[in-house]
Amino acid sequence: MQLTVISGKGGTGKTTIAVALAELEKNTGKVDCDVDAPNLYLYYDGRDMLREEFSGGMKVSVDTSLCTECGLCQSICQFEAIHDGKVNTLYCEGCGACVLICPSKALSLVEEKTAEVILTDTSSGVLTQARMEIGSEGSGKLITVLRKKAQGYAGDDLMIIDGSPGIGCPVIASITATDTVLIVTEPTQSGVEDLQRIVLLCQQFGVKTFVCTNKADINEEIARQIENYCLTNGLCFVGRIPYDDTVLQSINELIPIIYYSGSKANQAIREAWKRIKRQLFVSENKEERKQ
Amino acid sequence: MKIAITGYGQELKDNHDPRFGRCTYFLIYDTEQGFLKALENKGQLSEGGAGIAAAQQIIDEDVQVVLTGNMGPNAYNLMEKSGVKVYRCKTNSCQEALELYQDGKLSELNEAGPSHAGMK
Repeated sequence: MQLTVISGKGGTGKTTIAVALAELEKNTGKVDCDVDAPNLYLYYDGRDMLREEFSGGMKVSVDTSLCTECGLCQSICQFEAIHDGKVNTLYCEGCGACVLICPSKALSLVEEKTAEVILTDTSSGVLTQARMEIGSEGSGKLITVLRKKAQGYAGDDLMIIDGSPGIGCPVIASITATDTVLIVTEPTQSGVEDLQRIVLLCQQFGVKTFVCTNKADINEEIARQIENYCLTNGLCFVGRIPYDDTVLQSINELIPIIYYSGSKANQAIREAWKRIKRQLFVSENKEERKQ
Repeated sequence: MKIAITGYGQELKDNHDPRFGRCTYFLIYDTEQGFLKALENKGQLSEGGAGIAAAQQIIDEDVQVVLTGNMGPNAYNLMEKSGVKVYRCKTNSCQEALELYQDGKLSELNEAGPSHAGMK
């Protein structure tokens, strides 16, 4: 089973909760799909099983021995990516117009390494992540590759996918064809706005959606609004997680929050997870009965 | 009439892929001539806008019906404007999806989806 943790808004506590859930179950596959700012790996030591180059797209390369310095490439480039026969790869979009116009065939499109995909064997399941090159974009293509690689090792075990903020391409690639989504929101104005946007996306893709509110007690009124919103939209609300200084301590010490026995947040996350499992179990039973 | 089924492999017996934009292959089936070919989805290679790239391929291929798990808004709008009908299915193999469609057991995907009440 695959569960993706997303939020719409950034900084609501996705990774904290994703790590907690991954630790509550044994041998979970962990995929860090927040490729722009991966930090799931900070919690885990292990042995790298695989490091692989990822190419996000093509860039132009110049064969200087063939270049006649005619300047046609520079005149055709809409991105000002080529000057005096030298390519600025940060500007090059890989469209290939210069390749077509070059009379001496000095230009060609080559795959550009934009990230490295890393699979690490932790003591409790495989962690899959990517390290991107400076200037490259987090893309749905990269997310899809990460999930495919992870799937090969996870098998039937639970796979926790730590998603990225927003509602764009990488997020879409993180939730398509997953079984379940957990939205971690927070009771702030932007938290609510972004929750509504991400819910719309989840509904479009028809994935089973759970919602929890992190730092719920920082604004009781908005927290209630969120719960009402979930109720009227048929979303399964699984719990309020209170603001808790222990979470900061957990992040600083890089120890998952579930190992702090006195933590209020820890208790709330455990209860939310129980509710999610109960829901998933109930719906699975229903489907079995139907068959 | 041509039908496209999103799949992981190149044959009808292979697994059905519930994703549209980033599925591996489109299996093209003709209601008169039977299975025609497996078309590699160009969408899976694009950094962004995979759904649109995939939809363009479907339209270029003159397909009238798509059988997939789900579709994002961009791809769906293109399908709708081009008169391509999209059916939602959740099966193991592509063959199964095709049979369910032929038996009239699949429901058409409509953009509205579940309730949007409370949305701005």
